[in-house]
Amino acid sequence: MALDNVVFWVFAPIAVASAVAMLVMRSAVHAALFLVVNFFCIAVMYLLLDAPFLFAVQIIVYAGAIMVLFLFVIMLLGVDRNEPIRERLAAQRGLAVLLAVGFVAELFFALRAGVGFATLAPEGFDAVNAPGNPQALAEVLFQDYFFPFEVTSILLIIAAIASMVLAQRRSRAVTQAEIDVDATGAGAAG
Amino acid sequence: MRTPIAYFVMLSGILFALGTVGVLTRRSALLIFMSVELQLNAVNLSLVAFSRMHNDLDGQVLAFFSLVVAAAEVVVGLAIIVAMFRRRSSVDVDDARELRW
Amino acid sequence: MVAGEALTATGGMAWLWFVPALPLAAATVNLFLGRRLGKAAGVLASAAMLASFIVAAIGVRELLSLAPEERLVVLHLFDWISVGAFRVGVDLRLDAVSATMILVVTGVGSLIHVYAMGYMQGDPRYGRFFAYLNLFVFFMLMLVLGQNFLLLYLGWEGVGLCSYLLIGFWFDVPGNAEAAKKAFITTRIGDTAMLVGIALIAVHFGTLDFDAVFGAAGGQITQATATAISLLLFAGAIGKSAQIPLHVWLPDAMAGPTPVSALIHAATMVTAGVYLVVRTHVLFELSEVALTVVLVVGLVTMVFAGLCALAQWDIKRVLAYSTVSQLGFMFMAVGMRAYAVAMFFLVAHAFYKALMFLGAGSVIHGMHEEQDLRQMGGLRRVMPITFVVFMIGGLSQAGVPPLAGYFAKDAILEVANHTGRLGIYVLGTIGALISATYIGRMLFLTFFGQARSELAAHAHESPAVMVIPLGVLAAGAALIGFANTSPEGRVGGFLEPVTGAAPGGAGLSVFALGVIATTVSVAALAMTWLVHGSGRVDWMALRERMEPLATALQNGLYLDRAYDRLLIQPGKAFARISAFVVDAKIIDGAANALGGGVRRLADRGRLVQTGFVRSYALVVFLGAVGVLAFVGSRL
Repeated sequence: MALDNVVFWVFAPIAVASAVAMLVMRSAVHAALFLVVNFFCIAVMYLLLDAPFLFAVQIIVYAGAIMVLFLFVIMLLGVDRNEPIRERLAAQRGLAVLLAVGFVAELFFALRAGVGFATLAPEGFDAVNAPGNPQALAEVLFQDYFFPFEVTSILLIIAAIASMVLAQRRSRAVTQAEIDVDATGAGAAG
Repeated sequence: MRTPIAYFVMLSGILFALGTVGVLTRRSALLIFMSVELQLNAVNLSLVAFSRMHNDLDGQVLAFFSLVVAAAEVVVGLAIIVAMFRRRSSVDVDDARELRW
Repeated sequence: MVAGEALTATGGMAWLWFVPALPLAAATVNLFLGRRLGKAAGVLASAAMLASFIVAAIGVRELLSLAPEERLVVLHLFDWISVGAFRVGVDLRLDAVSATMILVVTGVGSLIHVYAMGYMQGDPRYGRFFAYLNLFVFFMLMLVLGQNFLLLYLGWEGVGLCSYLLIGFWFDVPGNAEAAKKAFITTRIGDTAMLVGIALIAVHFGTLDFDAVFGAAGGQITQATATAISLLLFAGAIGKSAQIPLHVWLPDAMAGPTPVSALIHAATMVTAGVYLVVRTHVLFELSEVALTVVLVVGLVTMVFAGLCALAQWDIKRVLAYSTVSQLGFMFMAVGMRAYAVAMFFLVAHAFYKALMFLGAGSVIHGMHEEQDLRQMGGLRRVMPITFVVFMIGGLSQAGVPPLAGYFAKDAILEVANHTGRLGIYVLGTIGALISATYIGRMLFLTFFGQARSELAAHAHESPAVMVIPLGVLAAGAALIGFANTSPEGRVGGFLEPVTGAAPGGAGLSVFALGVIATTVSVAALAMTWLVHGSGRVDWMALRERMEPLATALQNGLYLDRAYDRLLIQPGKAFARISAFVVDAKIIDGAANALGGGVRRLADRGRLVQTGFVRSYALVVFLGAVGVLAFVGSRL
């Protein structure tokens, strides 16, 4: 039994279980924490797939930044009220689960017909990763995908500005009349 | 590596399906958003798996981009949720039903 | 027969188109300017008629200058329809038959126009009346002058229209509009059949021109087709000439002013049917059945209408039924192939019937619009001129020699006798007897005996403008007979190239026939004088003894009521069903149901838009899974 098999068969169920747990939790904070567990498992999967850089970035960005952001908002807005259990839309849950099962089944059949469940990963990835995974990624990123890279950086800036604009408290503009009243009031008092 | 690639893809599919169920079933905007993040992660996983299968780094680069964009998206989305909460003191999506018959 | 090609009109005959054009022009002027013209409208109309008559006379005189075999002139005015090989032109035909007809129409017509100037004096729509009257004459002239079936039909429909307009001229009086409608609708039944007949002609011959059709007739159609066409055309004649079973409109048409009754319902329009059969006799003779039908219809109508005339109390209704009966007599002659004889009878009848109608108008005028015979009496003392002319007309119809009616009637009976149709001869003689009887009854009740009412006692003679035309007509009624002292006489000879010789034969001698006819007439007149004129018999009691037959005859053997119950009420019921059930409920209901259905569908449909984003998302996911399945199945 190879080591990666073991790792896979340990962390894959944990990933699924944490996802399910995230779904059924009533409290938002609990759900967020289970999601973090899920992200860790996925990071491990990345490692299995010879993508160590992504393994690190996943943990840093997703689990470290994004989920923290989520938790901030939850705490800030006090929306940790528990969700109601009763579903008001008829058949919503049932249909959703049904469709999800159907989707997974479709994927199963597609995979079986396409790649096949026996195909192992081919051998040549060490050659790709030869200079080291980050360096290899950098070569691809800054050469072949340079344009999307730049666009993405612009996107990040825009996102930051957008969030500031969207989340600011709007104060009412002060009218000239009020300024005059204040001035007279202050002048009269002073 | 001894695990067939298809297993990774299956795992990705299961996680994606779970994420979709979460989107459809939960009523809090925040929880829906978290389910969307789950979906995105599942897709990233499948991207990396296929990248491994093709002995190529393109999939990993795509996953990287996806991750960055998801981060930006979270920022904006949470800002929207905050604004939404300020307006009506609730993040329940069922409350936004003006566009009806 | 007239041989060879028709001549084109030259000289005076080139003005032939003025004959119908002048009345049309006067009608147009009177339609638009009638109110402003006032009394001049009548003068204009009568002048147009007289001018038309003069032009017609000139044209006929020129026609007479040609040899008898060449008396056929066609004047082409313009092309009307030109579609592929099918051509219809506005062509006017002048031959012996149409010459006779236009002279009668314009001649008698002018006299009636002059009379009407006096009769309709003071009427608020005076100008309109003369416009309609002239328009009628125009259409009648087109009917008889047309060289093809389409022009004939044009005139046919036109006279029907004018008849409707004129019968219902006093439309504010209740019942007049009904009578006009009845006339129009009843003749419409015949007209429709006639149209089908004309269509058949067009189909089988490819043309509607008279010469083309009659020339090719023998070779081109089967006997069955000829029968069909003839009977369909005759159906039109039955309607227009008020034969059984479509005679019911004529007695009611007496609701119109008396000049209308005289012109349209005595002298001209109703004779259009006779003209039609005479004109198309070539087609009728191809069929064994058609002429027999004509004969039988004429015979039955003559007897039936004559009996009904015996029971009428309204002076105009007597004359109306009399007209129906006399038309039956004419059709009887036509059925025996005696076309020239029938035409001669038509001319004589035009004179004496118009005369009697105008005379009746004079009587009614003098009696201050009273028309009931029971209120009259002794009018010869107070209306002498009317009395004399009316008597001449009446005696002419009764067949007293040497008046025109005697010659005309005798000619027909002679044909019956000489061709061996003894049954018809006997029935015809009986018909003559009945005719003389009801005429005598009417004459003696009106003019003889004591005045039976105040109106009769103080009646007055009519003005000169009404009396002078009466005089002229009386002269005609008296003297026209001499134009045809025998069937082979001058009128017959004139007509024969077109109509063919009257059937001859052997039988009783002409003299013997004349004696029988005269005896019958005189006996009938004597009897009626005894009963109605001499005062020795209580004719009211006699009438009451003959009830209920008398009332049945007065009501036309209740044929009107039968029609009402069998045809009109079901027709109205059908119309009601169509309007209120089929249209309102079924058709509108279907349309409304369609709209309503869409509405209901939309009402249900819109419930899909619940507003819940999660529902929408579910449906999107459903679609995505579906598409995946589809794509996956293709891999």
